[in-house]
Amino acid sequence: MRREPRPKRSQYSMTEHTAATVSVAGTRRGRKYAGLFLVAIPVFLVAWMVIWPILTAIPRSLMQVGTDGSTSFSFANYQFFFSDRYSLNNLTVTLWTTMVCAALLLVICLPLALYLRFTSNRIAAFVQSLAIFPMFVPSIILSYAFIRVLGPNGTVDLLLNGVGLPRIRSPYLTPWGPVIGLVWDNIPLTVLILVSGLGAVSNATIEAARDVGARRLAILWHIILPRITNSILVAISFGVLGIFSSFTLPYVLGPAAPEMMGPFMQRTFRDLQNPPMAITQAVITFAFCIVFGLFYIRSVAKNRTP
Amino acid sequence: MKRRQFVIMAAGSAVGTLVLPKLAFAAEGTIDWYTSSDTNILDFWTNHVKPGFEAANPGITLNLVDAGDGSGQLAILDRARAAMQTGTDPQADYFETGDPHLPVGAIDEGLYVNFAEAGLENWSRVNPLAMDTDYALPYRGSQVLLAYDTTKLPVADAPKTWEALVAWIKANPGQFIYNRPDKGGSGSNFVRRAILEANGRDTSKFTVDNYSAEAAEAMLNPAWDILADLAPSLFDNGAYTSGNTQSVQLLSQSAVTMIPVWSDQALQALANGVLPETTGLVQLTDLALPGGFSRSLVLENGTNRDMSIKLADYLLSEEIQSKVLTELGGFPGVSWDYVSSDLRERYADIIPTTIPTFPSGEWEVAVNDGWYRAVAPNVDRNA
Repeated sequence: MRREPRPKRSQYSMTEHTAATVSVAGTRRGRKYAGLFLVAIPVFLVAWMVIWPILTAIPRSLMQVGTDGSTSFSFANYQFFFSDRYSLNNLTVTLWTTMVCAALLLVICLPLALYLRFTSNRIAAFVQSLAIFPMFVPSIILSYAFIRVLGPNGTVDLLLNGVGLPRIRSPYLTPWGPVIGLVWDNIPLTVLILVSGLGAVSNATIEAARDVGARRLAILWHIILPRITNSILVAISFGVLGIFSSFTLPYVLGPAAPEMMGPFMQRTFRDLQNPPMAITQAVITFAFCIVFGLFYIRSVAKNRTP
Repeated sequence: MKRRQFVIMAAGSAVGTLVLPKLAFAAEGTIDWYTSSDTNILDFWTNHVKPGFEAANPGITLNLVDAGDGSGQLAILDRARAAMQTGTDPQADYFETGDPHLPVGAIDEGLYVNFAEAGLENWSRVNPLAMDTDYALPYRGSQVLLAYDTTKLPVADAPKTWEALVAWIKANPGQFIYNRPDKGGSGSNFVRRAILEANGRDTSKFTVDNYSAEAAEAMLNPAWDILADLAPSLFDNGAYTSGNTQSVQLLSQSAVTMIPVWSDQALQALANGVLPETTGLVQLTDLALPGGFSRSLVLENGTNRDMSIKLADYLLSEEIQSKVLTELGGFPGVSWDYVSSDLRERYADIIPTTIPTFPSGEWEVAVNDGWYRAVAPNVDRNA
């Protein structure tokens, strides 16, 4: 597992590897079908609940329903979205939040992953469990805890007040609110992917570099980073995909306007009762997400060719 | 290894089946009940109405389902209406609160039970103030009030008119916040009060079927001006919480001095200690903040129609109506004569004389969209 730079796919190649060492041919064939069987359910669900809705959404967003109920092909929904200041502001704030979160995630998680990879003591084990902890906290609970702690007159304010310092400018209900929440929420996945990517960097290589006098930064720049670029790309694309379409944290912690695409779509669909526009917003969101999805697929594909 | 493989496969298929949507059919004897209200209402039903009704009617169970919000429930009602047209099972019986005028035309098509003709024992008890149509059963009322911190604002100085409220908000910047109008009734009724203010405080100008885009522009735009003018004086230079509860939280953290709040939610928060005893409640006297009675609907084509009517009748009984007061902090849907006299005296200050209302449907959509476009942005938050 540690030697595999691709956490999502690693178990597959491992299965093949172990299967090759098993001499009985029948077991091998059985294993193959078991693999197909295991993968069939998720593939079917993805096709049914993700791919199919996307395929039906695209034509629906291009349809214009006339007053008499007739439908005609038109780009009107897209024209409206891209000429509407309000919608564009929402798209911009979504892109801004995603970019800021991705940058912060990298800045926070890379040192954390390096520490976890090259340290093995009790404190490291403790840090690791702390880093994974956000994975088990539902985002709605996180949101209310955030209001309690970082909100106005929250715990941080009380502590600052206790030592005679001025209050903080609370990020609650500003674009920074969702940023802080989303970064915290995405730390575990990013750290896990980076740590598994760092497994590809062997101790021997680093020791060899050290022997010839390479300094820490040089080792990081010339030895470690080139080997984990792929993992970084994967980690960032996973983070970005989740953040771009996030809902709860921007809904509870973010400002009323501009809003991120998640709350905006939900509001357009339910409160404004305008499904065609909500679908159009969704298609635009897919389009952005697909770019990051392609990053992920490309790096996986690149790694699979021998 | 074989055993392990088997376990993995079995677990995989089990998860797969769970994820597949269940093909559900409404069961005889299980009333499918939906609400679009807050959790306090769902709790009230779970803890008081459901046990009481099931004990009194063995063999009938209540399936309480949270439909999320008004639009979520409307989607279920649309489905029920479609089911009626095709003669299929609507998989729903009872709606805790709803507007029988929606979906438009549903009454004429016979979607809802006519309570006046359904033979309810307690129908005559309903408060005439609360009566709207025979197709909806008013069983609880609540109204939006202003809740404020009496340690920062003495009771005598609390604003009692819209004008005084606006003056107070502007004189005390950062001390008032309301929630986004589509995310909770306290903020939405504050916004509606501003709309009524901009239209001569005349509630009759807005009805469920007089919406038009031109009328909306003429009648809503002045209200957006009033609210946009208030924005810089609100908490954090124009922040809006995303729900009733978050506003209450900000008041309880003493981050703001005043919020609009549902009467029932405020009384419950006071009883639970969520809001301190020093919280004051005040209603505007020139025109109260809107609110209204929550009216239950029963589907004519539901599998459990007759049992649902029984449930509606039970709701108007003295037992439940007293609990609406004591447990929910709402006011009863029946006339005050049908509530015990000690309760009547204890709750004298929340007995309303008038409750302005505002239609849902197209007006609601226009308000939600207009507010987000005209009031929420256009503010330099860092100024």
